[in-house]
Amino acid sequence: MTAIFPAQPALPTTASRARSALRGIGMFFRRAPFSAFWGCIAAAIVAMAVAAPVIVPYEPLKSDFRSMQKPPSEQHWFGTDQIGRDTLSRVIYGSRASLTVAFGAVLFGTTVGALWGLACGYFGGRFDMASQRLIEFLQSFPDLILAMAIAMALGGGLGTVIVAIAITRIPFGGRVIRSVVLSLKEIQYVEAARGLGASHKRLMFRHILPQCVAPYMILATTHLGVAIVIEASLGFLGVGIPPPSPTWGNMLSDALNAGLVPPWWLVLFPGVAITITVLAFNLLGDGIRDLLDPRLRGSV
Amino acid sequence: MYSYIARRLAFGALTVIGVSIMVFAVMRILPGDPLVAIFGPEGFTKLSEQERAGYMAALGLSDPLWVQYLAWVKDIVRGDFGHSFFRSESVADMILRRGPLTAEIALISVVLSWLVGIPVAIVSALRPNTISDSLVRFISILFIAVPGFWVGMLIVLALLFWFGYRAPMAGASLLADPVANLQLVVGPAIVLGLGQAAYIARMGRSSLLEVIREDYVRTARAKGLNNRLVIALHALPNALLPVITLSGVLLGLVLAGSIPVERAFGTPGLGYAMFTAVSERDVFVMQNLVFVYAVVFVLLNIVVDVTIALLDPRIRYR
Repeated sequence: MTAIFPAQPALPTTASRARSALRGIGMFFRRAPFSAFWGCIAAAIVAMAVAAPVIVPYEPLKSDFRSMQKPPSEQHWFGTDQIGRDTLSRVIYGSRASLTVAFGAVLFGTTVGALWGLACGYFGGRFDMASQRLIEFLQSFPDLILAMAIAMALGGGLGTVIVAIAITRIPFGGRVIRSVVLSLKEIQYVEAARGLGASHKRLMFRHILPQCVAPYMILATTHLGVAIVIEASLGFLGVGIPPPSPTWGNMLSDALNAGLVPPWWLVLFPGVAITITVLAFNLLGDGIRDLLDPRLRGSV
Repeated sequence: MYSYIARRLAFGALTVIGVSIMVFAVMRILPGDPLVAIFGPEGFTKLSEQERAGYMAALGLSDPLWVQYLAWVKDIVRGDFGHSFFRSESVADMILRRGPLTAEIALISVVLSWLVGIPVAIVSALRPNTISDSLVRFISILFIAVPGFWVGMLIVLALLFWFGYRAPMAGASLLADPVANLQLVVGPAIVLGLGQAAYIARMGRSSLLEVIREDYVRTARAKGLNNRLVIALHALPNALLPVITLSGVLLGLVLAGSIPVERAFGTPGLGYAMFTAVSERDVFVMQNLVFVYAVVFVLLNIVVDVTIALLDPRIRYR
């Protein structure tokens, strides 16, 4: 285990941290150029989301009644929707909703799951038994259905969508971190610290938790893509962030509501945006996983 | 073996109870007020205090929670899944009418995922790190990333655009009208099947690559068996076990994925009913449908586990 999750260097200074981070990125590019390339695309999408207000050609919510449901043209590269809103601007703004939800839900869900898993693995016993049953119950729902039910019960909105998706991520964090902790608990340096009389808190957070960082990172990055798809599906089913906000799922849902024959540009572009984003984050996640945990290379 | 099945079923029963509590908790106890869910935030503010109390009492929502929970469980045990607010058909009838269509879609998609995924996995694993292998891997990664409902929309659009064809809207049973039924089912099944096939190809490839290195495969080769037979008789059966488990996990993906996919195709299955319930904020229908989906998922997982145990004695005796 120690070989797989290398120990942190003692007392890292800010400068040495920055240098090792840079070295890490350099190594990523050399060892996994394909993933690194998609990582750059993911970074570009994040940049696009951050810079959305500056780079959009039109206001995403403003309708122009002179150009309603127009196919792509020089003024509107991606066309306009039924009430004359610019599709390109809406797709760009959609990345904001998508990424906010994905990062928020994955960070929240995986962190709660990881802490829960840490407690389960460390304390064991009845608490662990009860927790495992509870996690099993949570996993008895297909992800999207659980997220739909929670989002619907809480009512639509950015916060509720994040919570709904985060809850579906908890079992994964819980399971993985628990098994890591179970094996770490018996390792000699932890035993030594326990022998020296370290408190539970110190053992858990000072000695065990740092070794969980690598699996946590792997979990978080591999789940970003799933979270984006669930967010889009929720929007498509009408339980996501409520309509006027431009999200990719809402745009596809609007296209379907537009009539018997939805205009092709309203269907094509939001879907392409979802696909490229999910692809980029999935491949970035694969690369990070291969880098941090060579044992898993090439498996699912 | 029987004791394994019995244990698995007992755990399944426990899980179903836990799931029912969880569904109830999500739909009734979470901060959202069911009346807000039904009438919408604006409609809710228009109701007078009296009307609210009246609705709450009529729906049995002013009883203590455990009374409500037991009443719900009693209804379900009797097979009474309640009524929609907006339609006269009972939920039980609706499940019986629409369920088979979704079941058909799920079944065909699973068969399709194996028919596509396994051959691809074999080709990919026998020539690892060649161009064809990389291509297959990239395509499967792509298929995992593409949202199925969007592909569904594109297919509907393309058929309409180029052939002016649209699948029939009305539900048709397999026995009464097989042609219409097939037209309804094929699209969603292909989309969901290819989505799963990507996962199966990926898992099958890595599992085969592992198995091929095993001693018994080398022995089979050493005794002069031809390569095809080595793969078909020795490597493949052992490599398939994790794939079967994965296929079981993917059933969750199919059950849930069929909701947006059925909406995209306009298929009148159970998934579409789920979409309708959600968009109409029909809390009680939703509660029962979520429960039904979860129970089906639990049962399917038991079937998968028992299948694995039948195929692999190592698990049975654990």
